[in-house]
Amino acid sequence: MDKIETVQEGNVTKVLTHLNYLKQERLPTQWCPGCGNGIVLKLVCQAMEKLDFSQKNTVMVSGIGCSGRSAGYFDLDSIHSVHGRAIPVAEGIKNANPALNVIIISGDGDLLGIGGNHLLHASRRNTNISIVCIANSIYGMTGGQTSPTTEQGSKTLTTPQGNADTPIDVQAILKAHNSYYARTTVFHFNHAEKCITESLQHEGLSFVEIKTQCITNDGRRRGFKNAYEMMMSYKENYKINSKTDTLEHNEIGIIK
Amino acid sequence: MTKILLQGNQAIARAAVKAGLGFYAGYPITPASEILHELVSEKSVKLMQMEDEIASINAIIGASLAGAKSMTATSGPGFSLMQESIGLAHMMEVPLVVVNVQRVGPSTGMPTLPAQGDVLQCKYGSHGDYFPIVFYPNSVDELYQYTFHAFNAAEESRSPVILLSDGYVGHLYETIQIQDYRISKRTLPPLGTSNRHFTGLTHEGSIPATSDPEVHKKFIKHLETKQKKVAKKYNGYEYRENASSDTLLIAYGALSRVSYHFKDDFAICRPIRIFPMIEDIKEIAGQYKRIIVMEMNAGQYVNEVERLLHRKVHLVSVLGGKIDLQEIWTKLKRSRRET
Repeated sequence: MDKIETVQEGNVTKVLTHLNYLKQERLPTQWCPGCGNGIVLKLVCQAMEKLDFSQKNTVMVSGIGCSGRSAGYFDLDSIHSVHGRAIPVAEGIKNANPALNVIIISGDGDLLGIGGNHLLHASRRNTNISIVCIANSIYGMTGGQTSPTTEQGSKTLTTPQGNADTPIDVQAILKAHNSYYARTTVFHFNHAEKCITESLQHEGLSFVEIKTQCITNDGRRRGFKNAYEMMMSYKENYKINSKTDTLEHNEIGIIK
Repeated sequence: MTKILLQGNQAIARAAVKAGLGFYAGYPITPASEILHELVSEKSVKLMQMEDEIASINAIIGASLAGAKSMTATSGPGFSLMQESIGLAHMMEVPLVVVNVQRVGPSTGMPTLPAQGDVLQCKYGSHGDYFPIVFYPNSVDELYQYTFHAFNAAEESRSPVILLSDGYVGHLYETIQIQDYRISKRTLPPLGTSNRHFTGLTHEGSIPATSDPEVHKKFIKHLETKQKKVAKKYNGYEYRENASSDTLLIAYGALSRVSYHFKDDFAICRPIRIFPMIEDIKEIAGQYKRIIVMEMNAGQYVNEVERLLHRKVHLVSVLGGKIDLQEIWTKLKRSRRET
């Protein structure tokens, strides 16, 4: 393994890798042990490094929730907007200054629940922004209520008998307007990195749905002992399909 | 100087372009839509017709941070939808201009008729503590002028400034003198130049601080001080002294235009910067035995005036969007007789 280069800044030893995209003085993140959000941050950092994105041309936007804290960890201009409104904020930025790469990292409740209408219209307008959706299928920050991507039958704080409703079909929304859609999981690290890298290069609206575990307020209630078990369930339940124009519910891949 | 016949809403749009408007996002609504219409063919303005008013206010927040002077315009129902993000703009200190051409409410109310029912919503509509600068002109010429002031105050205070109008003044046609007004330059560096974090959480610099009361107290104090300081530069009000009257009539916006008919019987004061309140009103009011606030709502600004003056202030309320001189005169006489 190559020696990791570091640089001393005050009391903080900064690692000169893809992590240089983060405000390392703010690490560790405040997320729970076993949370998948940190993996998503790393994925986005690596994709940005590959594409040579910089502080001078990139802006990060988040909504509200655990994932809403993502933007603030990046060492570039970032916005932590109100619940559900990351998309219109990002569209305003992109329209005012098309030279900027505008990336959204936010949760499924934020982007598909309270902010769902904005996704419909942003994809219709095909605004050139990249959306990374941390889809943990739960409202984690508020204690574990059912979310727009919670599977039917799944037990949550607000569906103790199992969720009666079907999860939202994000793929159908994005496909309806010929936008970029990718589904992946935090377990499939290399696949996820590919999905994000391609989405950042895509001209027009792109949406990457990353299935992520929340052990604290979801997995626990569904009988998982730890985050590792949840990640292994992604390995078992999701298969990569790179030769289809419609992903089945247990498939991951890129549709564009 | 050129003379031109303009509608109130058109005047706002034209002045905004002159003041450097770079981005506009909006959603159609009566009686404010003409502002959107006027801007669609402006080459210097990037324009988005959004899916709703929530998207509109958030888009202009993004655009403003990206470096463009930004504005949206709406009426009561849309203004209600925008409240959460108006709070966000105060918290993140984003310069914006939000125009509200008022109509009769609550709810859908009477969409084509004027009202002044959103006055308190301007000040208290979003949750938490904030100190908005609100202008309420009463003529096409003044709308033109105060659109410049609104943009300047927004830049100087880095906050969302509310430009209030109503269905009457907004749809009024008047001949105005087009003049050049001072324009404040953007001082906030645009996105893509640094590593700032703009957040709606209580914060110290770029770092969220959600459990330290001292940080929050300091932040709210900072907002209050900053807003008051900038507001002082725009001390707009009109005062018509009347030594022969013992009563001061306070009116603003559409209804203040009618108040001039009573200038022989009352002294008249018309605040244009309605928030933060004009401190001079204290001194003016001291010269009169009786204070009447006349407004097109069930009593909103009257409470604010009472709070400012620490004395009883009487209300003449005009409801339902109809401005009837005879009816108002009768009410004013009754108010003077009974108090």
